[in-house]
Amino acid sequence: MAAYGGVLAWSCLLAPKFTPVTLFLGGVGALLLVLVIVRGLDDLLGSSLLLLGACYVVALFIGRHPLDEAAPLVGGALLLCSELATWSLEERHAVAASRALRLARARAVGLLVFAGLGAGALVLVAANTSVGGGLVWAVLGAGAAVLAVAIAARLAVSR
Amino acid sequence: MRRTDSPRLVAYAGLAAVGLMTGLVAGRVELVALAAPFALAAALGASLTRQPHVTGTLTLDRERALEGDGVLASLELTGTDGAARVDVLLPLPDELTTTGDGNPVALPADVERLELTLRCVRWGAFRVGPAIVRARDALGFHTWESAVGVTQPLRVYPSVETMRALLEPLETQVYIGNQVARTRGDGIEFADIREWTPGDRLRRVNWRASARRGDLWVNEQHPERNTDIVLFLDTFSDVSLGPRGTLDLTVRAAASLAHRYLQRKDRVGVVSFGGFLSWLLPASGTRQLYRIVDSLLQMGIVLSFAAKNIDVLPPRTLPPRALVLALTPLLDARSTAALVALRARGFDLVVVEISPLPFVEPQRDELSELSYRLWSLSRDAQRDQYERAGIPIVPWTEGEALDAVIEEVRTYRRHARPARA
Repeated sequence: MAAYGGVLAWSCLLAPKFTPVTLFLGGVGALLLVLVIVRGLDDLLGSSLLLLGACYVVALFIGRHPLDEAAPLVGGALLLCSELATWSLEERHAVAASRALRLARARAVGLLVFAGLGAGALVLVAANTSVGGGLVWAVLGAGAAVLAVAIAARLAVSR
Repeated sequence: MRRTDSPRLVAYAGLAAVGLMTGLVAGRVELVALAAPFALAAALGASLTRQPHVTGTLTLDRERALEGDGVLASLELTGTDGAARVDVLLPLPDELTTTGDGNPVALPADVERLELTLRCVRWGAFRVGPAIVRARDALGFHTWESAVGVTQPLRVYPSVETMRALLEPLETQVYIGNQVARTRGDGIEFADIREWTPGDRLRRVNWRASARRGDLWVNEQHPERNTDIVLFLDTFSDVSLGPRGTLDLTVRAAASLAHRYLQRKDRVGVVSFGGFLSWLLPASGTRQLYRIVDSLLQMGIVLSFAAKNIDVLPPRTLPPRALVLALTPLLDARSTAALVALRARGFDLVVVEISPLPFVEPQRDELSELSYRLWSLSRDAQRDQYERAGIPIVPWTEGEALDAVIEEVRTYRRHARPARA
């Protein structure tokens, strides 16, 4: 919830004029997250994160900032929020896990979030480095996007 | 192993795709940076997964146990490489529980052996296993589930009640046993003296009586013989409240009686007279005890409206001069008719009424009270039928010692004898 609140607050700071709209969207998302954690409605987790992400994106576009350096942090916070909520849902099942297993999971979540932060930061650094531009980078970006869509579709089908 | 992917893996890939596409279209690198952690998580989840091939063996430290005993179940696991955590669930019937909160349990993947102590709460024949094993990767993106081990049989025998005295049949059989026969022959217990006849052994001469009477007199003894007991179980219907009920009490009483009679070297047989008819011919020894208890564990109520009388039983199940100990809840008139017919054929018969009253909660409304009274009256009528036929019938309620019931019948039989035509 702290990570969620942090991203919401940052979105409000990015576009102060649209704080009520951001707060409304984020509030609905936070309510969904509370439902996920308290009532175990895991289907709502995606919607909750999507709403928060939408808040940030809207604030980003409306705020008219040239570059938001906190974007990797926002991505990391969203991922952390999702991982912790999922972990919380898994802990609802009556399977007695030892302390060592919990520590291992915490370590794995931490590593994943830090690696995600690193990846986001790398993207920002690469974007700010002048290595040329134009068609090649556009094609690379489009390829990555298509690949991501393909992976998502493949995973969805295999489920 | 059946593999299941976490839905969030798809969600992460979807979010990454949306972020990358939007970033590309809008020309904002922040969206790509926002999508990067999700893209990384989806890529790691999809690529760094190694499927475990979990197999294992499930064993129990014994196949037979008594109520209240603990049975050690061991599960040996192999092939957990690739998993970070292994959840194990051993499905158990209600009559078996595990001590502590060890079922289900989550184990680190390097643990190869799991031991669970099963507590046998109630008697019955059970099948334990296979265990359900669920392996997960470190972040729970993928789970693999399979059944491990082979089903193990476990028989939990009812605890046997301590009984100080038993009912003795009116007549004994021809084999050696612990029961003093009413007839005269070679034995220990003194019976009478009689005049010497050619063929009598010298050591049987009662010298004191001979000196007093001036003629040779010999001692006569009661021989020690075995007896035949037939446990006649009425299984037409059952009244139960949760796990307790008349069938449960019937099985407990039958197990206790069989145990004690077989200890005395008597032959014991069982007849289950109900919707499903089954029997065990009378025999003695430990093997017979196991046979009887095993058959009791399989016993159940099979609803049937077919008319049944005593003629459906094979003649050898009811040997002559056997004591028939009937355990009935007095719920079905067919068993009453069969038992009265047995008595008419001259069998030494005792009826223990397994009282269903503790398991019946009459409702408060008028109709329920009326039906409860009618039901009580029909049971009284059945009891009266037994009494008119000269059959001792004693009620036994839950919590009461079986010894008290046996003693009541013994008292009755001291003053009453079956009439001989």
